[in-house]
Amino acid sequence: MDPKTREDLLKLFQGKLNEAMTFYLETCTRCGVCIEACHVYASMGKVRYIAAYRQEIVRRIYKKYFKARGNVWPSVGDAKELNDMALEELYEAAYSCTGCRRCMVYCPFGIDTQMIMSIAKLLLVGAHSEPEILTLLADTSIEKGKSLDIFKESFLTGIKKLEKDVVKKWKMEAGGTPIPMDVQGADLLFVALAGAHSIIPTAAIFNAAGENWTLSFFEAVNFGAFVGDPGRTQLILDRIVKEAKRLKVKEVCICECGTAFRVMKQLAGKQPFKVSSVTEVHARYIKEGRIQLDRSLLNGVVTYHDPCQIARNGDVIDAPRYILKHLTNHFREMSPDPKYNWCCGGGGGLVALGEETLDFRMKSSKVKADQIKRTEATTVVTACENCHTQLCNLNDHYQMGVDVKFLSSMVADALVQK
Amino acid sequence: MNTLYYFVLIPMVYFSFTVFFVGTGIRLVKIFRKPKQSTSLQIYPEKRPQWLWALHDTFLFPSVRKHKPVLWIFLILFHVCLLLLMIGHLELFGEFRIFQIIPHEVFLGKGFVGLILCLAVLFFLFRRFLSPVRELSVPEDYYLLILLFLIVLFGSQMDWARRWYGYEELLVEDYRTYLLSLLTLKPELPYNVINSGHSFMLVLHVFFANLFLIFFPFSQSMHSFLSLPMNKLRRG
Amino acid sequence: MSEEMKIAKVMDLKGLPCPMPILKVNKGIKEVEIGQVIEVWSTDPGSLSDFPSWARTRGHQILKTDQNGDVTRFYVQRIV
Ligand code: HEM
Ligand code: SF4
Ligand code: SF4
Repeated sequence: MDPKTREDLLKLFQGKLNEAMTFYLETCTRCGVCIEACHVYASMGKVRYIAAYRQEIVRRIYKKYFKARGNVWPSVGDAKELNDMALEELYEAAYSCTGCRRCMVYCPFGIDTQMIMSIAKLLLVGAHSEPEILTLLADTSIEKGKSLDIFKESFLTGIKKLEKDVVKKWKMEAGGTPIPMDVQGADLLFVALAGAHSIIPTAAIFNAAGENWTLSFFEAVNFGAFVGDPGRTQLILDRIVKEAKRLKVKEVCICECGTAFRVMKQLAGKQPFKVSSVTEVHARYIKEGRIQLDRSLLNGVVTYHDPCQIARNGDVIDAPRYILKHLTNHFREMSPDPKYNWCCGGGGGLVALGEETLDFRMKSSKVKADQIKRTEATTVVTACENCHTQLCNLNDHYQMGVDVKFLSSMVADALVQK
Repeated sequence: MNTLYYFVLIPMVYFSFTVFFVGTGIRLVKIFRKPKQSTSLQIYPEKRPQWLWALHDTFLFPSVRKHKPVLWIFLILFHVCLLLLMIGHLELFGEFRIFQIIPHEVFLGKGFVGLILCLAVLFFLFRRFLSPVRELSVPEDYYLLILLFLIVLFGSQMDWARRWYGYEELLVEDYRTYLLSLLTLKPELPYNVINSGHSFMLVLHVFFANLFLIFFPFSQSMHSFLSLPMNKLRRG
Repeated sequence: MSEEMKIAKVMDLKGLPCPMPILKVNKGIKEVEIGQVIEVWSTDPGSLSDFPSWARTRGHQILKTDQNGDVTRFYVQRIV
């Protein structure tokens, strides 16, 4: 690595050193309490997958360049130079971590491994060594935000085609629009994924609840966050914030996508609208009696997988359980305490990387598969696109024979037409 | 020999305390003046009041108790004894009424505090030689523990000698004269302090303690100050 | 664009959810020569907006978009 590149990368590193990050980099006592916390280590048993070990990969570079010690006595902390080999280690550490923050629950100090890995990811972006796919997807999203007008029409036609399926789930009064778009002054802006399964069920539920809603032009998922690029993350987020402000909505509702929800909720800052997850909104409809659900559709034990970014990291814990109580009498918890729920193993962009990571994702999530098997459930419900894909893959790989379902589509299927 | 004793017991003590206080102070101020994280780092579900739970997490290590119960027992013993030792050292400067609420001879705990600390440190040290904590550890972790062991060992030896073997040459009064003279910046070394048979222990104790204090601000020991703010971040 | 547009390759991405179509097409286009055209079928409604923005960021050109029922056909020319 030439000195110029290193200098640029170290500048990126420096930019990440806010107060919290410095706490995290200064503090680890290598006590080993977090050893069993990571599903990757718990499933595969390799030391390099222990949370503290991943952190040290970044911390060693910190010790070399950002502590006086790095000049005087580097060996005392195993300080390490930033070179091409270090980049490879950073890649291995960051892209085998799903950012689930389960280890943060274990650590006596609460060190946030995901946040430390964000340095690794940023350095990789800076060195153009990040997974190309994630950058590609992020750039595509950003481009869409820039040139909305060009594809607006074709997108609208695409959405129109979904409307008949929405009506199949919920018959509307004549004259209503099953999937309203671009509605000035709507109460709620729904930000979905650009896939039919993410739009149709929830559209039906909104219509059933008589919500004054409108569908966003943009997809919720933030590939910028997966690739760990703060600039791109912000640009992708801004498209939606701009749209929400233009339409003057009161609430932005994020579809079943963990990253999208956490990024929107925490990064949007103070805005004239509130941010909710679609799960919270659906629970609210039930509570207010705006929708009724048929409880007799499901047979067998039902369990719920808490998506890390929505539950442990996003505080949506009671709402899905409340909804499930209205869908089945046979609900069984997966983990005694939701903050200890195992990650599905697909977060942090690993699912978006597709086939490339499939083998690793299956091996690293054995503990998840075992946890699901222990519930003896026949239906596994979740509320995140990533988790859903990963759980389906696990279901095939470990031949679990369960039904993996989206919570929203279960609500839509159980709607009682008055 | 006397010059060496003098060097360790007076100038080096001043130096190490300066490094410790100034170093720790400056580093903390620098860290706390960095820009705050703009997003929440909280883990849910939350419990209120959050500051109380942050204190609970900081001082009772509930996550260690849950996941590594044996380590937890040693950690609690270690940190409690550390606190008692700090009180003990303060009492080497003079009498403190509040500490005598429970009447005791100086150095609380009849010599057992030191013994427990020795064992706890040995436990931490040997843990670090076992995989996978071994692969996680870096040299500083071992150095700190070895230093601590040496400090506690020589410190305790002096205490044990007095209490358990009835060694009467080096007494609390001698230490008080010495330490108060340091505090009032008129350093003097009473005859007993450097000429008794156990003086070498005092010198070694102070020497290693000096090294520890000098290293402290630059090591992972800073966790003692950063633990509370970090736990607060997690609790929200 | 001439009527007898030569298709170097056809990619059937029907049924794949977002973001798979983009990933596949991004890979597929690298397998044809510069200047050649591939034909891509997708049923993902997001593709209608994803494909043009993807093409813009990567410098490729979408020559034509045909919608036929649920299936959309894109004709993409490799430029770089
Ligand atoms: C206040 C919150 C504190 C927490 C949560 C905390 C936690 C810990 C933990 C987890 C260890 C790891 C032990 C090991 O495996 O080596 C440790 C060690 C240690 N702590 Fe604390 N501690 C705290 C305060 C303090 C304080 C006030 C001191 C006083 C100076 C201190 C001094 C030490 C020392 C010297 C060690 C052992 C050396 C080492 O492992 O580096 N700690 N502590
Ligand atoms: S954040 Fe999750 S995946 Fe990453 S180290 Fe911690 S437990 Fe493992
Ligand atoms: S639990 Fe925390 S302090 Fe202990 S090794 Fe893991 S990250 Fe470090």
